[in-house]
Amino acid sequence: MAERGSLEEMRSRVVLGEFGVRHVHTTDFPGSYPGYTDAWDPVTFRQGFHVDVTHMDEGLLEFDLVGIDAAIANAFRRILLAEVPTMAVEKVFVYNNTSIVQDEILAHRLGLIPIQADPRLFEYRSQGDEEGTEIDTLQFQLKIKCSRNPRAAKESSDPNELYINHKVYSRHMTWVPLGNQADLFPDACFRPVHDDILIAQLRPGQEIDVLMHCVKGIGKDHAKFSPVATASYRLLPDITLVQPIEGEAAEKLKKCFSPGVIEIQDIKGKKVARVANARLDTFSREIFRHEELKNMVRLARVRNHYI
Amino acid sequence: MIMKNPEVEFCGYCITHPSESKINFRIQTRGGIPAVEPFRKGLTDLMDVCHHMLSTFEASVKEYKAQKETEMD
Repeated sequence: MAERGSLEEMRSRVVLGEFGVRHVHTTDFPGSYPGYTDAWDPVTFRQGFHVDVTHMDEGLLEFDLVGIDAAIANAFRRILLAEVPTMAVEKVFVYNNTSIVQDEILAHRLGLIPIQADPRLFEYRSQGDEEGTEIDTLQFQLKIKCSRNPRAAKESSDPNELYINHKVYSRHMTWVPLGNQADLFPDACFRPVHDDILIAQLRPGQEIDVLMHCVKGIGKDHAKFSPVATASYRLLPDITLVQPIEGEAAEKLKKCFSPGVIEIQDIKGKKVARVANARLDTFSREIFRHEELKNMVRLARVRNHYI
Repeated sequence: MIMKNPEVEFCGYCITHPSESKINFRIQTRGGIPAVEPFRKGLTDLMDVCHHMLSTFEASVKEYKAQKETEMD
């Protein structure tokens, strides 16, 4: 039974030892273990696999993928970063730029601004097409001029008071419909995702007048086309207490882990530690610094549960 | 996916150069079937997995949204 137990552990958990991580590689291939058939079976996969969305809002999506292999989870992560298309500014036609920000720097900064536009509504631009048609291009205009504020106080040195329009934000970018885009998208408002991205700073007399063409692209081509700020995953932590821990040691144990992971319960007057929510733990391995607690806890991760 | 096929004895890949979109695959079977078979099967199985994952994910997102709405009310 002990062998069976440890074999199960080897197959399903990645164990974090003091000096290294054991059982890292997936070993559930046919022929690896006698008594186990690991051949691909879609039915078992469908039974074992499920997705739970933990949190979803404008800027963050957190979900659990249970029952798949590391390679597939990683493949999805990489695809999210590099191959999901978005719209971003590609060509900048500079009509007038008398600010101290150089043309190419300004163009680079404009390219990195995220644009709120559904890339499924647009096509990719065909090779060699310089002008761009209405099915593959979004046009934005940025026209802003800085001037001195006539109503400012004589001795003030605050630029917010002295100058009008001295900071160029992404909200100053306006959408210019091309061709029949005004009819196709009457309600859509194409704009930068965030209004308060600082593009450049101006002083009186300086002016920026540019026209921008946005095209559809993927992250592999240029990082500005990556739709996510970042995409990451981690394995579900699994903390087991090999022996019951009580009293002072329990308090110490609680401090070794992230808050909320270990809970102290009062059983018959003695404080007993219990693993409350292993999911919150970030595995700093603080426990290995304490000699007496080191052997009482087993830190592991569930191999096929990705958060 | 290909490794999960019991007919496959050896399977490996390497990417010759990261700038080129080329992968070198080596698949060796136990002698029963031609080597292209597990490759093809692996690709179709992978497609099925992805379809299933997509539908499960979408169902899960819908469920989450519905749950959020009931919480709001």
